[in-house]
Amino acid sequence: MSATTYQIRLKHSEGSLVRLLGLARRRRFDVTHLIAHPSPDGDFLDVQMTVESERSESVLARQIENLLDVTHVSIAGDGALHFLG
Amino acid sequence: MNGAQFLVKALEKEGVDIIFGYPGGAIMPVYDALLDSSIRHVLVRHEQAAALAADGYARATGKVGVCMATSGPGATNLVTGIANSFMDSIPVVVITGQVPTHLLGTDAFQEVDIFGITLPVVKHSFLAAQGDDLGTIVHQAFHIARSGRPGPVLIDLPKDIANTVGDFRFADASGSDDLGEPPQDAVDRAIEMMRESRQPVIYAGGGIGMAQAIDEFRDFVSGTRIPVVATLKGLGALPTGHELFLGMMGMHGNKAANIAVQSCDLLICTGARFDDRATGKLSGFAPHARVIHIDADPSEIGKLRQAEAGVTGDMRRALKQLTIPLNEIQEWREECAANKASHAWTYPPDSPEVSATWFLSELSRQANENTIIASDVGQHQMWVAQHCSFSTPRNHLSSGGLGTMGFGLPAAIGAQMGRPDATVVNVTGDGSIMMNLQELATLKRYDLPIKILLFDNHMLGMVRQWQELFHNRRYSEVDLSDNPDFAAVARAMGIPAIRVEESSEVQPAIDRILSEPGNLLVHVIIHSEANVWPIVGPGKSNSEMMEERRR
Repeated sequence: MSATTYQIRLKHSEGSLVRLLGLARRRRFDVTHLIAHPSPDGDFLDVQMTVESERSESVLARQIENLLDVTHVSIAGDGALHFLG
Repeated sequence: MNGAQFLVKALEKEGVDIIFGYPGGAIMPVYDALLDSSIRHVLVRHEQAAALAADGYARATGKVGVCMATSGPGATNLVTGIANSFMDSIPVVVITGQVPTHLLGTDAFQEVDIFGITLPVVKHSFLAAQGDDLGTIVHQAFHIARSGRPGPVLIDLPKDIANTVGDFRFADASGSDDLGEPPQDAVDRAIEMMRESRQPVIYAGGGIGMAQAIDEFRDFVSGTRIPVVATLKGLGALPTGHELFLGMMGMHGNKAANIAVQSCDLLICTGARFDDRATGKLSGFAPHARVIHIDADPSEIGKLRQAEAGVTGDMRRALKQLTIPLNEIQEWREECAANKASHAWTYPPDSPEVSATWFLSELSRQANENTIIASDVGQHQMWVAQHCSFSTPRNHLSSGGLGTMGFGLPAAIGAQMGRPDATVVNVTGDGSIMMNLQELATLKRYDLPIKILLFDNHMLGMVRQWQELFHNRRYSEVDLSDNPDFAAVARAMGIPAIRVEESSEVQPAIDRILSEPGNLLVHVIIHSEANVWPIVGPGKSNSEMMEERRR
């Protein structure tokens, strides 16, 4: 079981945060830490989400990218950010 | 113009010609607006059938299906159909009425959080809480439903927004459906792997039809001359009779298809997702193969099986670039062809009892190319997949991912509405038909010439088969010997019906199915212990197929 932290930018639209959390749970990733705050203009939510799972971190990253409210995903690991989008 | 009237205009602008639905309190403004619209509304008798009919319409036509219901129970009754579309990536727009915005979150009459309930089973969803957004929401919903990997999109419309008179604006046409060029490095890698391979197999899925890539796929097969196996939803991507087609793979696949996959050194997965019904035990699936995975959805690449080359983007362009002659695989082709010949389907010798597989094989052989089979779920579904021929995926409607009993009849209704010139046959069982039996009234109401071919073994046949094979014949709740007289039920609902009990009655029944202008229910009695063969047991690899046991 390894922990992975994702940096995610979401459109601040109806249900976008719930959609993200539901996706993580459904794909068997246990959300252990979550910080979300609105962007200065209020149009986006910047989310830092840590999950634990036996599944590959890139699988969830690609699934998150598929959410239509998501504009950016990156994985924080070894101090580096890997941009996927 | 109020919000409901604008919604209907926006649907017309999106090219909607049919909506499957059922009215109720919160959606009444939209039903009022429909009276002044060119859109045809099809009144089903249960909301689940509206969602499944929209799904069947989309599968058979390639267009976006639309269904509609009121809030609360109307909306929740749609959920199975929405999930069905989600699992099989079918483009559907779902419109639900909702309580007025000031009552949202108050447990108002017929209030249910359908937006929240459906989050796991939609591609996207909207709560139209601001009238100003309605034009954009409708346009985006249709774009999202059909683009990329298609799927269902929900629009939840509060009643006050529907009733509000305002200055609504249509959205500008925007959003491209172009998925872009496939990544060149992945294409180059795939070509290199194809050239190195001596035993390649193409694993064809439903994504080929969804990507409108049938022509390019057939050129790819003709150009490379690689043997092809298909998933349930991939049937028809290559005509069933094609010399390189080995059959359906997986749990109830053709043995030649499974042998080819288990022996191949390269698996070219095209528009498929390594579903467990296709792969069997994943760790034992195609154990000697490297994988090229071609898919519109990048999140499918590596989800279940690591791909050495993941080719995303526009599948049509990808297939064109991968169409290269392969000169070193003649021996492998001959081996696959020999296996295909030696494992071809056989039919029981003459017997008074009706063989469902022979019935389906003969029906399919005698039907014209514009025949759609909308299957329900169970043993008959697998018999259709095994024994019927398809020249396009749009003629084979089957609930693959969700396995929704009750899918067949409403899907057939949607298909017949979308393709009125087609012969539409709903192949069903005595378990499945009861799940949406009320839709016989819809058949009658619209005089749809759908033929229902009902195989009745007085059992929940597939469950019975599993209990026989894997639960030591401990039969639990599978006996349906108290079934109604289905022919009498059909007649009571205004549908002509015949009963077939002996094999000598099969050909006359086929004649009526294929020539009768109106609707017809053919109630066929089959042996209660008829099984689907071959079968890969749960948790087993596709190398371990169980063959038919003669009793």
